[in-house]
Amino acid sequence: MQKNKPEIADESGDKYKYGFVTDIDADTVPKGLNEDIIRLISAKKGEPDWLLEFRLKAFEHWQTMEEPTWAKLAYDKIGYQDLCYYSAPKQKVAPTSLEEVDKELLDTYEKLGIPLKEQEVLAGVVAVDAVFDSVSVATTYRAKLAEKGVIFCSISEAVKEYPDLVKKYLGSVVPYTDNFFACLNSAVFTDGSFVYIPQGVKCPMELSTYFRINAKNTGQFERTLIVADDESYVSYLEGCTAPQRDENQLHAAIVEIVVMKDAEVKYSTVQNWYPGDKDGKGGVYNFVTKRAACRGANSKISWTQVETGSAVTWKYPSCILQGDNSVGEFYSVAITNNHQQADTGTKMIHIGRNTTSKIISKGISAGFSNQTYRGLVKVSPSAVGVRNYSQCDSLLIGSNCGSHTVPYIENRNKTAVIEHEATTSKISDEQLFYCQQRGIGEEEAVSLIVNGFCKEVMQHLPMEFAIEAAKLINISLEGSVG
Amino acid sequence: MGGLVQQQDFDAQAPWLSALRNAGLQAFEKQGFPTARTEAWKYTKPRALNVDDYVLSVAGGKTEKEEIPFDCYSFYFNNGVFDGNVPELPDGVEVMSLAQAAQTDFAQDYLGQAADVADKPFAALNQYYLSSGVCVHILPFVQLDKPLLFINHTLAGETNLLMNLRNLIVVENGAQAELVEYFHYTGTVKSRYLTNIVNEVFLAPDSVLKHYKVQAEAFKAGHIALTAVNAEKNAFYKSLTLQTGADIARNETHVKLLSEQAGAEVDAAYQMNGWATIDTTTDIEHLAPCTHSEQLVKGVVGGEAKGVFQGKIHIAPHAVKTEGRQLHKALLLSDKAEVDAKPELEIFADDVKCSHGAASGELDEEQLFYMQSRGIGRETAKQILIDAYLEELIAKVEDENIRKWIKLKIKTDNL
Repeated sequence: MQKNKPEIADESGDKYKYGFVTDIDADTVPKGLNEDIIRLISAKKGEPDWLLEFRLKAFEHWQTMEEPTWAKLAYDKIGYQDLCYYSAPKQKVAPTSLEEVDKELLDTYEKLGIPLKEQEVLAGVVAVDAVFDSVSVATTYRAKLAEKGVIFCSISEAVKEYPDLVKKYLGSVVPYTDNFFACLNSAVFTDGSFVYIPQGVKCPMELSTYFRINAKNTGQFERTLIVADDESYVSYLEGCTAPQRDENQLHAAIVEIVVMKDAEVKYSTVQNWYPGDKDGKGGVYNFVTKRAACRGANSKISWTQVETGSAVTWKYPSCILQGDNSVGEFYSVAITNNHQQADTGTKMIHIGRNTTSKIISKGISAGFSNQTYRGLVKVSPSAVGVRNYSQCDSLLIGSNCGSHTVPYIENRNKTAVIEHEATTSKISDEQLFYCQQRGIGEEEAVSLIVNGFCKEVMQHLPMEFAIEAAKLINISLEGSVG
Repeated sequence: MGGLVQQQDFDAQAPWLSALRNAGLQAFEKQGFPTARTEAWKYTKPRALNVDDYVLSVAGGKTEKEEIPFDCYSFYFNNGVFDGNVPELPDGVEVMSLAQAAQTDFAQDYLGQAADVADKPFAALNQYYLSSGVCVHILPFVQLDKPLLFINHTLAGETNLLMNLRNLIVVENGAQAELVEYFHYTGTVKSRYLTNIVNEVFLAPDSVLKHYKVQAEAFKAGHIALTAVNAEKNAFYKSLTLQTGADIARNETHVKLLSEQAGAEVDAAYQMNGWATIDTTTDIEHLAPCTHSEQLVKGVVGGEAKGVFQGKIHIAPHAVKTEGRQLHKALLLSDKAEVDAKPELEIFADDVKCSHGAASGELDEEQLFYMQSRGIGRETAKQILIDAYLEELIAKVEDENIRKWIKLKIKTDNL
C-alpha cells in the first residue's frame, strides 16, 4: 500500500510551486502612506485630476475608519505605514506589444502557466490581463476583442482612453466609504482590469486576469471593474499567486461588477496566494471586497470561487439584486490547512421583484486552520416573490481545526421563500474503509471524497480552471491525513 | 424613580453576596446599555427599555389567584416579588425565598455560577439587584409528582415598574422535576414595565428538568429572560417556551453541557402581531464528548411585528461524538412583518454531527384554497393552518394537561 502512495514532500514550502521570486528591476515608491504618496502614485500613472481627488477623498475617510474586528480571524496588526504602495516592473517606455515586454516577466508568466503567448495551447480560448505587483503587464487578444466592441484593458489605460465610462461606474457599486479595506484600496489602488461589454454582445472568449505579488513588502491593491451592458454576456476568470516570503503580504482588492438588463456575468476565481508555511509563518493577508449590482431586469451574476491560498482570507462576494427577476449565485469551495484562516461567504440583497439567489458553500478545514462561512440574505419589503436557497457544508479533517457557520437571514417580505441548511461532519470511517478495502490509499481516498464533496461547485468552473482547481485541492490537503 | 441602575444598599449583606452584586454592577457598566452596534442585539433593539422613570417593584400587593387546569405546586410572584407562600411540598424538595437562601452556604455555591454576565448586560443588571426569587433544591433521586408552577403576575398601572427576578433551581443526582413558568398581567397599561428575569438551573448527574414557559406579558412591556443551565453527566434539560406578549421580548437559553452524555432539547414558539419584537436566543455549549442537543423554533408573525432568532451551537475542541441540531422556521402573515435569523455553528472538533436549518415563508395559498373549496372560510382555514404549524412544537410537551393549557395560550384569533 505504502508504495503506491504518490511521493509527497513534507515541507509545505515544496508544495507551493508558485513560490519563486522574479529578479526584476522594480520601480517602487517609498514606504508608508500619506497624501504625498497618493499624489506620487497618481502622478506616476499620469492620472486625471478627478481620480486623484477620488483617491484623496478616500484617504481622508480612511483615516477616520477603524480596522474591522468582527471576523473570526486572528492576525498580527498590519503596519500600514511599513508597506510600499506602488511597485512596478521597471521599463523605459510603456510596451505597445508583447515583444516589448521584459523577457524575464514573460518567463515568470510562463512558469505560472498562463497562456500569455498567443500560440499556447489554450490560447484562443482565453484573453489574459496579467497584473504583476501593481501594474498590468500585458493584455492579450485586445484587437480581436475590439472587433466585437469589447473593451478589455488595464484600468489605468481605461482611465486614459475611456474616462467617461470609468468615471461613471468607478465606485458606483463599492463606494469608497464602504469598508476599511475598500476605502484603503480606493486611495491607493494601482491597477487592475477594466471590462466593458457593449449591448447585445456575447464575449467570444473567456477573459482572464492573473495577479501576482512579486516585490517584497508590497501591498497589492488592484481594482477590477466589469460593466456588462444590456443583453451581453461575459465569463471572467481570476487567478492569483505570490512568492514565498516570511513576512505577510497584504492584498486588498476591489471587484465591482455592473450588470444591466438581460445581461449575464460569470466571475470565477481560483485564489492561490501563498498560504504561509506549516507553522503559520508568512503568507498573504487577503482582504477583498467583491460586489456585483444587477441593475437591470433579468440580469444574472454568478460568483464561483475556489479559495485554497492566503494565510488570512476576508472575502464576501455579494450580489445586489436590484432588477426584477435578477439572479444571484454564489458557489464556493474554501480549503484551509495548517494555520490558515478564512472568513468568507456572500451577501444576497434582494431589492427587485421575483429575484432569486442560490448559495452553495463548501468548506474544508484541516490541520490547525479555522474557517468561517459568514453570509447574509436580505429581503427588502419591496421584493415580492423572492426565492433563496442556501447550503453550507463543512468538512473537518483532524481534531485541531475549526469550522463555523454564521448566516444572517433578514426577511421583510412575506412572499419570500428562504431556506438555509448547513451541516458539519468529518469524513466518515465507513467511507474511508470502503475506499481502502478496494485498494485506494488513505490519502487518495481523502482527496477522492473531498473532490466529491466539492463537485457541486467545481462543475460551475470553466473547464481549464476546474482541472487546476481540482489539483490545487489535492495539494492543499497533502499531509493533513494520518 | 430612576433609570435601570438605582442605588442599592447592600453593605450589611454577607461579603460574598455584596461582592457578587458589585461584580454585576461593574459588568453592566463595562458593557453599557446595548446599542445598534452590539452584535448580540443586532436585531432586537432594546432602546425603548432604557428610560429613566423606572420604579423598583417592592413586596406587597394582592396575590391574584389564577385558575390553572392542571395539578401543580403553585408559587406566586406579584409585580416581580415572590409573595413568600410556599405550598406544601413532598419530602425531598426544599424551597426558600432568595432572601432566606442568601444567608446560606447553599446559595453561595450556586448563585451566579451558571449565568455569565460578561456579555449579557441585563443579566449583569439582574445580578446587581438580586432582589427577589425562589431557590428550589430537589434532593437526590426524588421524582416530583406534580410540576412546580411559578405564576408571575403584574398589575400594570401608572408607573414604569422595573422587576428583577432571580430563581435558582438545583436538581440533585437522579432527581426529576417539571417546572412551569407563567407570565401574565392585569390592569390597564398606561405605562410600560420591564421584567428582567434570570433562572439558574443546575442539573447533577442523571437528573432531568422539564421546563415549560408561557410568556403573555402586556403588550407594552419589556420581557428579558435568561435561563442558564449547567448540565452534568447524563443530565437532561428539556424546555419549551411560548411567547405571545411584550413588545420587546427576549427569551435566552444558555445551556452548558459539561460532561459526557449530557443533553438538551430547547424548543420555542412565538406568535405576535402589532409592532412587537420577539426574540428567541439560544446558546448551547457542548463542552464534553458524547453530548447531544436539539432545537426547534417556530414563529408566526403578523402586523408590523418582528421575529428574531439567534441560535448558536458551540462545540469545544475534543468534544467529539457530539450531535447538535437546530431548526428555525417562521411564517409571515402580513406585508410589514419581518423575520431575522442568525443560526450559528461554532465547531472546534471533527468527529461531530451538526446541522442547522432556517426557513421562512407565508401561508401556502394552495392549502388555503383546498380548504376554501371544501367550504371552510378563509379566516378559519388560516387558523387551522397556523394551529397545525405550531402543533408540531406543542406536541413535544409530554404532560397532556400542560399541553392543553399551553395550547389555550396561543392567541391565533388576532393574527
